[in-house]
Amino acid sequence: MTRPSAPELEALLEQGKQIPAVPAAVRARVLTRARATAALAGSARPPRSRISPAILRPAALVAAMVLGMGIAGAVVLLRDRKPAPAADANASAPVAVRPALSVLAPPTPPAPLPSAPLAPSAPEPHPSAKAASPRESYAAELELLRRAQAAYASGDFSGSLVSLNEHARQFPNGRLAEEREALRVSCLRGLGRSSDARRAVTSFAQRFPHSVLLSRTTAPETPPSN
Amino acid sequence: MGYLRLVHSTSPAPAHSEETCVAAFDRELDYVFSSLRRLGVASSELEDLAHEIFVVLYGNWPEVDRSRPLRPYLFGIAFRIVAAHRRRRSREVCVAVPEPEDVGQSPELKLQARQSAALLAGALKQIPLPRRAVLIMHDLDEIPIRDIAETLSITRFGAYARLRKARLELRAAVQRQRLGVRK
Repeated sequence: MTRPSAPELEALLEQGKQIPAVPAAVRARVLTRARATAALAGSARPPRSRISPAILRPAALVAAMVLGMGIAGAVVLLRDRKPAPAADANASAPVAVRPALSVLAPPTPPAPLPSAPLAPSAPEPHPSAKAASPRESYAAELELLRRAQAAYASGDFSGSLVSLNEHARQFPNGRLAEEREALRVSCLRGLGRSSDARRAVTSFAQRFPHSVLLSRTTAPETPPSN
Repeated sequence: MGYLRLVHSTSPAPAHSEETCVAAFDRELDYVFSSLRRLGVASSELEDLAHEIFVVLYGNWPEVDRSRPLRPYLFGIAFRIVAAHRRRRSREVCVAVPEPEDVGQSPELKLQARQSAALLAGALKQIPLPRRAVLIMHDLDEIPIRDIAETLSITRFGAYARLRKARLELRAAVQRQRLGVRK
């Protein structure tokens, strides 16, 4: 193995071998970010993949039937109510279906209910978020995303979406918005809402074109590993 | 990730692998930052690129052969991320790199170390990235040629050839830097 012949150059390289320590503040920042990403990236192996499609398909069918019956019941109820006292002039049928649906819905509703929208329709900043310091708001963001990730890991995709929507409402442009939207895609896929998931992927790619999570988000779902 | 040497394990990743990966990254964070700086990354981009390295490391963590040193593997990731980053930016940003303060050194030593570091960093930037990577791995990180070749997916002959040329380029670059300084 030949070394650089000039002793001066060798001395320079010798000094260059020293590895300076990263400042503590930078280290803390990098590790916090790494932990947050690790917690979310754990969702790359969704728990639902352990359930075989043979079980999932009939379950989805049953859920769809229950939902269909619920809608039919709601429509019947609304028709029965029509002749009753004159309602507001601006109360139209499609608007009335929604409250009826929410009344009829079981306590643990099946996946494609409108209770977990793709994105919050009216982002109202949380009153406490305004007053919080950047550090506090970051902690609050992290906590919400941790909750969402925990729900996702336990297979509660709807619950996870609720936390994600809460995060989106409180911190529409928060520092963890990128991770939030990536997890949203996984949740929507988990719920089988593939068209919503596709829309979420498109919006993610537009909003975060250079994201390191983009390849994971756009990747097709992997088959069960075990 | 065909370019990284992986050992496929049959057992699933343990539940605590997330923490193990973060801990390993924490241990090697100084090295990661140092490698990124040597590869010409601007200070303002260090944190983002270090995070990209973590994402790749975490994604491959269950398959990483932990019986072998992690540094060559990390450098391989860093090299590819920096190369991709440069392609994205299509230009390299050359800025003075402020090094963290060395509390225990005298002012003279500190100044000398800073000058040497600046000289080396400036000279390294003049070497094309593929050859610079081999030079850094071999002459600074003391990684054997066999591992360098494996990590960078090149032949040993290719690695030796790059090293030889990079050393010549470094010598010329140092000379140019010194002349530039004296002017």
